[in-house]
Amino acid sequence: MERVMPHPLIETKLYLPSPRPGRVARPRLRERLDRGLAAKLLVVSAPAGFGKTTLLVDWLASAGGARDGEQVRGAWLALDAADNDPARFWRYVVGALRTVLPGVGQDALGLLEDSRPPAVELVLTTLLNELSALDLDTVLVLDDYHVIDAPPVHEGMAFLLAHLPARLHLVLATRSDPPLPLPRLRASGDLVEVRAADLRFTAQEAASYLNDVMGLELGPDDVHALEGRTEGWIAALQLAALSMTGRTDVSGFIAGFTGDDRYVVDYLVEEVLQRLPVDLRDFLLRTSVLDRMTGSLCNALTGRVDGRSVLEALERDNLFVVPLDDRRHWYRYHHLFADVLRGRLLDEQPGVVTGLHTTAATWYEQQGDVEEAIRHSLLGEDFERAGELVETVLPAFRRDRREATLRGWLEALPRPVLQDRPILGNALAGARMSTGEFDGVDDLLDATEEWMRGVGHALEGRARGAAVDEEYRRLPADLAVHRAGLALVRGDVEQTVTHARAALDLVGEEDHVSRGAALALGGLAAWSTGDLETAHTAYAACLVEFELIDHVSDVLGCSITLGDIEVVQGRLRSAARTYRAALDLADRHHRPVLRGRADMHVGLAARHLEADDLAAARQELARCRELGESAGLPQDAYRWRVVLAGICEAEGDVEGAVDLLDEAERLYVGDFSPPVRPVPAVRARTWARHGAVDAALDWADRVGLSLDDPLSYLREFEHLTLAKVLVADARHHEGGDLSLVVTFLDRLLEAATEGGRGGSVVEIQVTRALALQQLGDDEGSVRALAAALGLAEPEGYVRTFLDEGVPMATLLAAVERRAPSAYVRRLRSASSPAPATQPVPRRSGSAHVVPVEPLSTRERDVLRLLDTELNGPEIARELVVSLNTVRTHTKNLYMKLGVTSRRAAVRRGRELDLL
Amino acid sequence: MDQLRTAVDPAPDEGWYRIRVRGRLDQRWSTWFGDMSLTGGEDGTTVLRGRVGDQAALHGLIEKVRDLGLTLLEVSHEAPDAAAEPDR
Repeated sequence: MERVMPHPLIETKLYLPSPRPGRVARPRLRERLDRGLAAKLLVVSAPAGFGKTTLLVDWLASAGGARDGEQVRGAWLALDAADNDPARFWRYVVGALRTVLPGVGQDALGLLEDSRPPAVELVLTTLLNELSALDLDTVLVLDDYHVIDAPPVHEGMAFLLAHLPARLHLVLATRSDPPLPLPRLRASGDLVEVRAADLRFTAQEAASYLNDVMGLELGPDDVHALEGRTEGWIAALQLAALSMTGRTDVSGFIAGFTGDDRYVVDYLVEEVLQRLPVDLRDFLLRTSVLDRMTGSLCNALTGRVDGRSVLEALERDNLFVVPLDDRRHWYRYHHLFADVLRGRLLDEQPGVVTGLHTTAATWYEQQGDVEEAIRHSLLGEDFERAGELVETVLPAFRRDRREATLRGWLEALPRPVLQDRPILGNALAGARMSTGEFDGVDDLLDATEEWMRGVGHALEGRARGAAVDEEYRRLPADLAVHRAGLALVRGDVEQTVTHARAALDLVGEEDHVSRGAALALGGLAAWSTGDLETAHTAYAACLVEFELIDHVSDVLGCSITLGDIEVVQGRLRSAARTYRAALDLADRHHRPVLRGRADMHVGLAARHLEADDLAAARQELARCRELGESAGLPQDAYRWRVVLAGICEAEGDVEGAVDLLDEAERLYVGDFSPPVRPVPAVRARTWARHGAVDAALDWADRVGLSLDDPLSYLREFEHLTLAKVLVADARHHEGGDLSLVVTFLDRLLEAATEGGRGGSVVEIQVTRALALQQLGDDEGSVRALAAALGLAEPEGYVRTFLDEGVPMATLLAAVERRAPSAYVRRLRSASSPAPATQPVPRRSGSAHVVPVEPLSTRERDVLRLLDTELNGPEIARELVVSLNTVRTHTKNLYMKLGVTSRRAAVRRGRELDLL
Repeated sequence: MDQLRTAVDPAPDEGWYRIRVRGRLDQRWSTWFGDMSLTGGEDGTTVLRGRVGDQAALHGLIEKVRDLGLTLLEVSHEAPDAAAEPDR
C-alpha cells in the first residue's frame, strides 16, 4: 500500500471569502467591475495592500455582481507558487469552477492524466466545449496571479482567453501585469482594468473608513494628513487606524507619523507590534513562516496550546488575519503583513527560521499533507527528510502527471541526497531529458549506476512503500532506457540498440511502460539503419505493451511509426489496418478525442491517395481539421500538407501542390524519426514529373547527390528521386547517359530487396522501367514494370503508376498487350487529368493559395453561417457569442482564406471543401 | 537559454547592483534582501546595494520590493571598481 497519496484539492484555496461588515462603499469601482462582465478579461492590478481581494469579494457578494438582473456565479481560486505546475493549476481551475458548476470538467480532468506532459490545449478545448453551454454568467477569479511565472501556465491562460465562452468571465487579481496579450485585448475592448490609481482611497473614502468604519472621529485635517502620508494605500491606512484605536493621544500619533519619512509599513507595524503583549508579538513572528495557519499548527510552532483562540482574537482585533473557511479553522495573514513579519523574524531571530520550517514540515507530515511537508522541509533545509518524502510520493505524482512539481523538488535537492536515493537522481535525469535538456544527465546516470554497483544494490532496509520498492526494482531497466534515449538523441545508433536491448533484458514482464519505451527506442534505432523487419517487430511489440496499460496516446504515437515502416515495406494494407486499429482503440477508450488521432487520419488519407480515391483522401484530411490542431502530434502539420499536395497534384493543381510542399518544408518536425522522406525530395519529384527538370536538378545539386554515392537506407528516397530526375531530364533534353542511371537503379534495387523494403522495390522497378523505356530497351522495360505490378497488385498501388503520366500509360499499354490483366486495365482506365507538360513556376500567384493555417472549428461555424442570409448580430446569436467574437472570427478566417469579402470567403470555402 | 543570455546581456550577469526605492527603509530589512546594504539618502529614498548572483536573483529582489509595496525608483549595475569600496 502506498503510505501517502498526493493531497487532494486544498479547499481553502477555493474558498470565496465572505465580505466583512462595515466596508467603505466604492460605487465608482463597482461600476467598472460590472463593465468587466461585458468584456473577456478583468484585471485588477496593483501592489500588495491595495484592497484587490476585498473589492472583488464585495462585488461578487453584492447585487453589483449581477448582469441583466441575474446574480452571477463567482468561482474563486487563490493561487500559490506551487500552482506553476500546469497539472496542478488546471486541476484547481476545474475545482474552482466546480464550486459553482458541480461536476463540470470530468473529461478535461481525465485528459490531464492521459498525456505526458499534459496536453493543456486539448484539456482546455474539452473544458471550453462544456462551458460554451453556460446559461448563467460565471466569473472565475484567480487571486494572486503574480505568483505564476511558468510559461506553460501563461500559455494555457492565453489559450483559454482566446476561446472564452461568452458567459464565462475571467478576473485576475495580481501585483504584476500578466504576460497575456493585454494591449490587443485593450484595443478590442475585451479588457477592463482596475489599477493602483483607481484603488487608492480618495480623501472621502479615507474619511469614511477612518471615521464611519473604525469610529475614530478624526477632523478633516487629520484625515487629510493621513491620506497624504499613506497616499491612499489601504493597508497603511488600516495599520494607522489600528495604531490609533484606543490611543488617547491621537493627534500626537498623527503628527509623529506624518512627520516621518520612514517606509510607511515599517513605521506602522512598529507602532502596532509595540502595543502588543510580548507573547502575542512572538506568536505573530513565529507563525509568519506559514502560508496557512490553523490552531494546532500554530501550537506546534509556538509551544502554546491556545493557537485557535489566538487566531480568533487576531481576527477579532483586525490584526491582518484572513479566514480561509467558514468554520474558523484555517487562516492566513494578509500577504503584506506576513512579509513584514517575516522580515522582522529574519532580522531579530535569524537562527530560528529553518527550525520553524522543519517543525511545520513534521506537522504536515503527520497530517498526511506531503506536498506541504516537502515544501517546508526544503525551506527548513532538511534535505534528507525532503528527499525521503519526495521518494515516497514519486510514483503517485508521476501517475498524476505532476512532473513540473517533482522537477522543482528534485532540482532543489543537493547532490548527495540524489545519490543516496538514486530513484530521485534517475527521475531528475528523465525529467530533464523529456524537456530537451541534457546538461548533467550523464552525471546523474553515472551516479545511479555507481550506486547500483555498490552497497545500495542490496536494497538496504529502509522502510518504504511497495510502490517505492517497485521503483527501485525498475531502476536498472529505467537507467538503460535513459541511456538508450540519450544515445538516440546523440545519433549513436549502436549504443541506442545496445542499451535498449539491455533494458529489455532487465525489465520485468509486468513493467509495460519500460518495455514499451525500450522496444520503441530499439525500433527507432533499427529503422534508421534500414533494418525494417527488426523495427517492425519492435514497434508491433511496443504497441501491445502500451495497449495493455491503456496508454492510448502512446499507441497512437507508435502507430505513426509502424505505419511508416509498413509503407516502406510495401505492406500498404497492413499500414491502413494499423491506423484503423489505433483509431478504434481511441474510440473504445472512455474519452474519445486524444492527441494523435489526426495523425491516423493523415495516414489513412495517404493510403486513399495511393489507391487513387481522392474523395476519400480529402475526407480523411477534413476529419483532421475537424478534430483541431491539438489532436495532432508535432509531425501532423507537415504530413497533412504533404498528403494534400499529392491530392492537388493528382487533380492537376501542380502549383497548389508545390505551394503546399513549401509550407510542409517550413513546418517540418522530425520528432526523432529518421528523415527518410525529406520534403524537398518530394517536391523535386513533383517538379520532375511536370517538366520543371532544372529546378529538380538544382535540388539534387544542392543536396549533393551523385550516382557514385554509397547507398544507405536513410538516403534511399533521395537517391531514387535523383534517378527519377535524371530520367525526366533525359526525356526533356534528349541528353545524358541513362545507362549509368540504370546501373544505379540496379544497385538501389538490390539494396532494397535485401532490406525487405517491398515498397521501395515497387518504386525502383517503376523508375527502372521508365529509364529502360527511354533507353529503347522495350523488353527490359516491360519486364521491370511487370515485376513492379506483381508486387503492387495485392497491395492496391495506383498513384505510383499514374503519377508517371504519359510514358507510363504507353508502358502499361505494352504490358497489357502481352499479358492482359484486370489490374492493368484498371490502372489504364483510372481517371486522371493529363499531367501538365509545361514547366511549373516555383512560386505561384494567389489563385490557388491553400490556407496557410487551417480554420478553427469556430471559424468554420462562422463560415457556414456567412453562407446564409443571416447578418452579423444574427450570426452572433446563432453561435451564442458576442458580435465582437464573430467579427474576430470573420477577420481571422478572411485572413486565412486570403479574401476580403463575405462572398469571396464563401466561394473560397466551397473551393476548399469547407462548405 | 544560453542563446537568450547572449542576446540580452553579453556581459556576465552577476555583479553589484543598486536598487533605489522611495521611503526610508529600516536597516533591519538587510537580511530579507539577501544581506544587501541599506543606505538612506537625504531625499527620502533608500539605496539597496550588494552583490547579485545572476539575473534570476536580481528579479527575485525586485519581486521582494514589489511585494512590500515599495515604490521602485531605479535599478543600476555598478562598475566593478565602484564596487571595490569596503562597505560590507
